Amino acid sequence: MKPRLLPPIWLALAIACPVAWATVNDALSFAKEAAAPYAKQGYIIREDAWGGDLGVKDQQAVTAHLYKGNEYGFWLATDTRGAVITVHIYDSDGKLAESEFWQKGRFAGAKIVPNKTGAYYAIVTVEKSPQERSNWALVYGYR
Amino acid sequence: MMRALLAGLRPSAKPKLPMLSRLLFPVLCALALASSLAQTPSPTIDLSKFPAAAVDEVVVPVPSEIFNVLDKLGSPNWAGEMRPNLGRNTGNRSQVAMLLGTVIADGFIAVEAENSESVKQIGQEVLNLADAINVRKAVIARSKSIIEKADNKNWRAVREELDGALQDVRGAMVELGDDDLAQLVSIGGWVRGTEVLTSVVKKSYSSNAAELLNQPELLNYFSRRLEQIRNPRLKKEELVAQVRKLVREIRPLIGKGAISQGNVEKINKMTHEMVISIASEES
Repeated sequence: MKPRLLPPIWLALAIACPVAWATVNDALSFAKEAAAPYAKQGYIIREDAWGGDLGVKDQQAVTAHLYKGNEYGFWLATDTRGAVITVHIYDSDGKLAESEFWQKGRFAGAKIVPNKTGAYYAIVTVEKSPQERSNWALVYGYR
Repeated sequence: MMRALLAGLRPSAKPKLPMLSRLLFPVLCALALASSLAQTPSPTIDLSKFPAAAVDEVVVPVPSEIFNVLDKLGSPNWAGEMRPNLGRNTGNRSQVAMLLGTVIADGFIAVEAENSESVKQIGQEVLNLADAINVRKAVIARSKSIIEKADNKNWRAVREELDGALQDVRGAMVELGDDDLAQLVSIGGWVRGTEVLTSVVKKSYSSNAAELLNQPELLNYFSRRLEQIRNPRLKKEELVAQVRKLVREIRPLIGKGAISQGNVEKINKMTHEMVISIASEES
């Protein structure tokens, strides 16, 4: 499944149909919550976000064009209590490129200082979950 | 965790635990290790196993990401990169969409030049052009904020508002079902951004600075999006055909290796001519 960009229209829909969209909204809120402390460290957090839903052990790639000279942070979250998710960053040759990563239950993150400008792939994985499918949302920032 | 497991298996270790605990301990340690390994990322992945639609859908960087790097590379003469005239609205929607992209890019240059008057003028022009393609409402607040923050010389905040304006305009167009036009706004911004970037790089060439132009996947993505324009009339428009040709011709100049000074100059000339066409001015 293609990752979805979550523009303001999703938020508008979420207000109109709170039950249907509450979970997408929750995952996004959690991802922004995970990113918030990094803004104080000088990161500019992009306003747009990406999201979708995945089954256990399913993976999703989000392709981003990153510039050498910047430092990037990716923050991922799910609304599913008890789920474990991860995000890792790979370069265009499929090699692990992140400088660090962390995982804490429904939150996960990774940092990268690109050694070349180009396309990088944020690979989102639902490692385990009490639900068949889990909503996820990803945001990224740079400094 | 690993050390405890090894210590427990040492032949000299005296068994003090009851039988059940002795059996459970290694099992629990093995489970903990397995769980920890499951979260250890694989050093490589096979990107071809992911659906092409997801891998090919590149997240287009916001202009601030590029200017953030440029800030660290030195202090170019940004004032010298500003245009005296932002261009003319011809009433053609594809032209207005691309022009809007170029004007937003000019906003970033004015921020770099710390020229609050120009930033304010650009904030107003963004509003006028957004009005011409029915997305004025989406940028009213941004435009006001750009002007306010430029008055306060809060340049970082102005940059963030300009990024936001670009996203809001695109979001509003997608909402109106104008995905193709939304893409043209991004492409307009990219063309003007690339013109300025190449102009800065060619004046003080370094391979580090030239690497900012290394964006083959991004160009492939733009190329695909231009090919996939659904509206047949829009697809055939002269300006759209011109930008499609531009993307196709730049692509071989930015391969995987270092981008030469000669190629930087070529890209600068090509994008400069394209900006003139978008602005609907005489060269």
